[in-house]
Amino acid sequence: MSRPWFVKRQAVRASAVQQAARLLGAVLAATLVGLLLFLPFDVNPLQAYWTMLSDAFFTVRGLSNTLNKTAPLILVGLATVVAWRAGFGYLGFEGCLLLGAVASTSVALQALPGGPLAAWPWPLLVLVCAMAAFLVGGVWAGVVAWLRVRYGGNEVLMSLMSNYLAVFLLQYLVSGPLRAPGDLPQSARLPISTWLPYLWDGGRAHAGILLALTAALLVWHTMKHLRIGYEWVVVGLNPRAASYGGIPVGRRIMLAAFFSGGLAALAGISDVLGSHHRLLDGMSEGVGFVGMVVALLGKLSAAGVAVSAFLYAGMTVGADSMQRQSQVPSSVVVIVQCLIILFVLASALLDRYRWVGWRRTATPQTREGG
Amino acid sequence: MTPQTHPLLEMRGIVKRFGAGVLANDHIDFVVVQGEVHALLGENGAGKSTLMQILYGMYQRDAGDIYVDGLPVDISSVSQAVAHGIGMVHQEFMLVEPFNVLENVVLGQGRVALAPARARLLALSAEFGLDVSPDVRVEDLTIGQRQRVEILKLLFRGARLLVLDEPTAVLTPTEVNGLFEVLRKLVARGCSVVIVTHKLQEIRALADRVTVLRQGRVVAAGLCVDETDEATMARAMVGRDVLLTVDLPPMARGEAVLEVRDLCVASGQGIALVNGVSLDVRAGEVLAIAGVDGNGQSPFAEAVMGLRPAQGRVSVCGQRVDELSPGARRGAGMGYLPADRRGVGRVMELSLEANGLLGQQGEFTRARYWLSARRVAAHAEQLIQRFKVRASSAQQLAGSLSGGNLQKLLLGREFSRQPRFLLLEQPTRGLDVGAIESVWGEILEQRKAGAAILLISAELEEVFNLADRIAVMYQGRIMGVLDRASATMELVGQMMGGQDVLGTVAEQTP
Amino acid sequence: MDTSLIAWSALLFPLVVSGLQLAVPVMLAATGELFAERSGVLNIGIEGTCLLGALTGFLVAWSTGSLWAGMAAAALMGVVSNAFLAWMYVTVQASQVVVGIIFNLLAFASASYAYRLFMGGQAGVVQVELFQPVHWGALSELPVVGPLLFQQIGPFYLVAAFIVLSYFVLFHTAWGLSLRAVGENPRAAEASGIRVARMRYAAVLIGGGAAGLAGAYLVLGRVGIFRDNVVIGQGFIALAVVILGRWHPFKAALAALAFGMAEALPLLLQARGSTLPTQLLLSLPYLMTFIAISGLLGRANQPAALLKPHLRE
Repeated sequence: MSRPWFVKRQAVRASAVQQAARLLGAVLAATLVGLLLFLPFDVNPLQAYWTMLSDAFFTVRGLSNTLNKTAPLILVGLATVVAWRAGFGYLGFEGCLLLGAVASTSVALQALPGGPLAAWPWPLLVLVCAMAAFLVGGVWAGVVAWLRVRYGGNEVLMSLMSNYLAVFLLQYLVSGPLRAPGDLPQSARLPISTWLPYLWDGGRAHAGILLALTAALLVWHTMKHLRIGYEWVVVGLNPRAASYGGIPVGRRIMLAAFFSGGLAALAGISDVLGSHHRLLDGMSEGVGFVGMVVALLGKLSAAGVAVSAFLYAGMTVGADSMQRQSQVPSSVVVIVQCLIILFVLASALLDRYRWVGWRRTATPQTREGG
Repeated sequence: MTPQTHPLLEMRGIVKRFGAGVLANDHIDFVVVQGEVHALLGENGAGKSTLMQILYGMYQRDAGDIYVDGLPVDISSVSQAVAHGIGMVHQEFMLVEPFNVLENVVLGQGRVALAPARARLLALSAEFGLDVSPDVRVEDLTIGQRQRVEILKLLFRGARLLVLDEPTAVLTPTEVNGLFEVLRKLVARGCSVVIVTHKLQEIRALADRVTVLRQGRVVAAGLCVDETDEATMARAMVGRDVLLTVDLPPMARGEAVLEVRDLCVASGQGIALVNGVSLDVRAGEVLAIAGVDGNGQSPFAEAVMGLRPAQGRVSVCGQRVDELSPGARRGAGMGYLPADRRGVGRVMELSLEANGLLGQQGEFTRARYWLSARRVAAHAEQLIQRFKVRASSAQQLAGSLSGGNLQKLLLGREFSRQPRFLLLEQPTRGLDVGAIESVWGEILEQRKAGAAILLISAELEEVFNLADRIAVMYQGRIMGVLDRASATMELVGQMMGGQDVLGTVAEQTP
Repeated sequence: MDTSLIAWSALLFPLVVSGLQLAVPVMLAATGELFAERSGVLNIGIEGTCLLGALTGFLVAWSTGSLWAGMAAAALMGVVSNAFLAWMYVTVQASQVVVGIIFNLLAFASASYAYRLFMGGQAGVVQVELFQPVHWGALSELPVVGPLLFQQIGPFYLVAAFIVLSYFVLFHTAWGLSLRAVGENPRAAEASGIRVARMRYAAVLIGGGAAGLAGAYLVLGRVGIFRDNVVIGQGFIALAVVILGRWHPFKAALAALAFGMAEALPLLLQARGSTLPTQLLLSLPYLMTFIAISGLLGRANQPAALLKPHLRE
């Protein structure tokens, strides 16, 4: 009878040290695959990695770009945390982001010279834009939640479809009603009074990161200390027990969806009011999806989201820079980003199987099966 | 018996470990001869189910050997067990509900011609008195009928040794008699049957010999049932004398705390799960609802607590609570502990602290939004101390506690609120004798403090020991309510079996 | 635009014909996914698999000159990539939704990378020959049935055969019975001696192969080029089609046809001079899908074990 390499064991939860080790192992394995992907492009992989790293974090320009890209990732990650921990399997953050951009642009355009909001000061304008975006995103996700709670609809598929609907809406708006004079599918440039302020003079990093970090703090506080956080966690883990405990499950899910959609929409204003200063077709670059990956890597906690968002943003900035310099496509980095989380997920297998390969011959007559 | 005749089954030195230090089977020897009904007796957690899962190839043993007809066999999968003529009927039936009987029987057999299979099914059904029709969908069958389908499945595969795991747990007394008839026919045709059970009366009724397990070891092997009395069996099972009666001091019965009138609950398909139940529970009394599990007890409990839509009236201390949410009903003084197996009253992935909070989170908030961590922790500590929960800290995950321990915490959670009305559903299921005693003690304390207690229990021992009045639920109706003094096992058993001995149902039906 | 009744009914027939042509990839992917879901696995990675199949089909067809080789390679790619997915779903038992989403991202990036790698040196957009419709002689000239059934490309007939075969396998073979049992009550299936893990692996691989083929069908049967977004949601629509078709091959095919018609409608309306905004019309299939699974049209009885992992002690 052949002896197995892996042996089944009683399911245990990994300790914090084991989890950190697995994360490290996953990162290493993924970067190794990344190295292989560099080879066909006639580039020194280690050099390329170093360039990526330094361009992303060790130059002022790079760091600014990284911070700008971190903000929306944090916000989408937080949105994922709030939704998924409450048991709402929402995947439509991309759509919420785009709609947040649309909403804030619509409001901001009213502040152009001659418009009704032209005389308003920038803090007020930005606030109103943010509120509009939050509301629109919240309702967008809330509708899906309502359909699920009231009619038993499948929120996974609904949210995936809603992403496409949002994209088409955006495309329609920037080709038509909101289009600036000219042929490009984009809106007019937004007035300076609606721009997010820069963090330091002459720099490119804008206050979106502050918005994101504030949101992260609020989410952390809510999940840990507020009653609604407790209720959301119970609803997500065991809806029947929640109901038994007097928690109105349907209402809590809709509330979670609302806040989640709102947070994702704020990611949209970070891009629009902070970076681009106009509404464009194709502006989101998949942040709505990468944000979910960031949340997973951060183990669905606010702090984890902040850290992994920063790392992933850096990787993206580094990849763009690398593509410009050496023709290696930036998709390599996305591949590595995905592999990291897949390896982490796969390592959960170690909770249930123990590696005995090296000690095969020494194993006593105990028979174990898979 | 010639020396060449081997027993049908012999298990020698079986060892099975689960995780760190849990020795479910500790060098167990078990012998079954041809043509006998052999009971495997033990409390919950004694290792009986584990042993049989090993025999049936669903678990892998850590050590030991199995011999069928004297020859050593290797059983590491279900199909191997089946090939050796071993079959098992689990407590939870392994049937695919949307399929019909024929499909369930031929499942997993590879290519099977349906017409001959149908004929064989009908022949087997007739031969063993199983009375099962091949084209009915399993989801339309009663529990007793489903059990017969399970037995039929085994016979179809040529089983000579049938293992039944707690077979009468879900049967009415009439159906138990029917099962006895089937078993007698099986034995007459040369099959052997192993009954895994913890019920002494079942062994008396059905078995020829009994082997007793305690804490993973064999404490008595192959005792002849006719020559052994219940007391001996019980002692072997628990290791000490069983407490058979409880001193129930009479209480002056107060006002009706809970009033239920014409409560009806329908399932999604429109079937009446609870069919016009009316009852009162007074302060300082325990009203027990006896009845085989699955006769509407859980839907009834959920309806009373507002977890399920229902028609009819529910009032607490004279105030209607029908419009109130579950949370509001708790606020009105109603406490509820659902049956442990349903995972409704607890969240395994959260800490004991978090579980201790469930249902009362409103009381621990400051300014409507902020959970006071300190008070939550103190509350959990208090529960752990007072109800003797064995846990290292309140931050421990609920899932890491043993079933009985966690149950103590959850009961404590409900008891500590001093509710006016308590609804307890199978509160001691799965607990060992010591835990059962302490839970009974706490229930009686609450009774003394004047709470109105509605106890839903499938254990007649529990019902007879604790109740002031006994009601019996059958098919969603109350068959009758008896005072403790006038209740007998026969009366209650008959009502559980659906017999309208008190004429209660006849009165209600227009 | 002529909105009379005659004009509308004259629209209907071309709509069905175009709709059928557009629906085939979705039908194919959905039928494969049927197997996976009937065994209890919801494979969201079907979208990424279609894309990988599209890429593989394109590359192989372009480099070997053989369209059928491209199709075969795409099916193989679908099977191989879903082997990893099946491992994650069945053995690792990670969350099916999460793994599927990440896989789609990975597939998107991988396809983009591979295209750059192999075609980076090409100037401009590269095209491959498309499959040509098969001629059945006199049958192709029949009035209604002709355009509908006898002027389709070769792979169309394979897909039709696959759908019929799937029905037969699922409902009239022992293997199909075992598969459905796994999706309804895996513990019961296990107790009957069925190897649950194996069946789920097989089901997911079938789904993967079909999805890969569907992607190649898109490229080699309709579009002719490869771009990053050649598959935009058809995989997800296939998931909805499975639900609407109540996990039954024929009903799912009908549901796919409905979506194909929704996709064909914008093109036909525009050809007739409609002035509705393009994007509104383009969003129609997605809106339909959204409404279809919103629960507004009633709930469906899904395989009871869908999305629940099976633990064997």
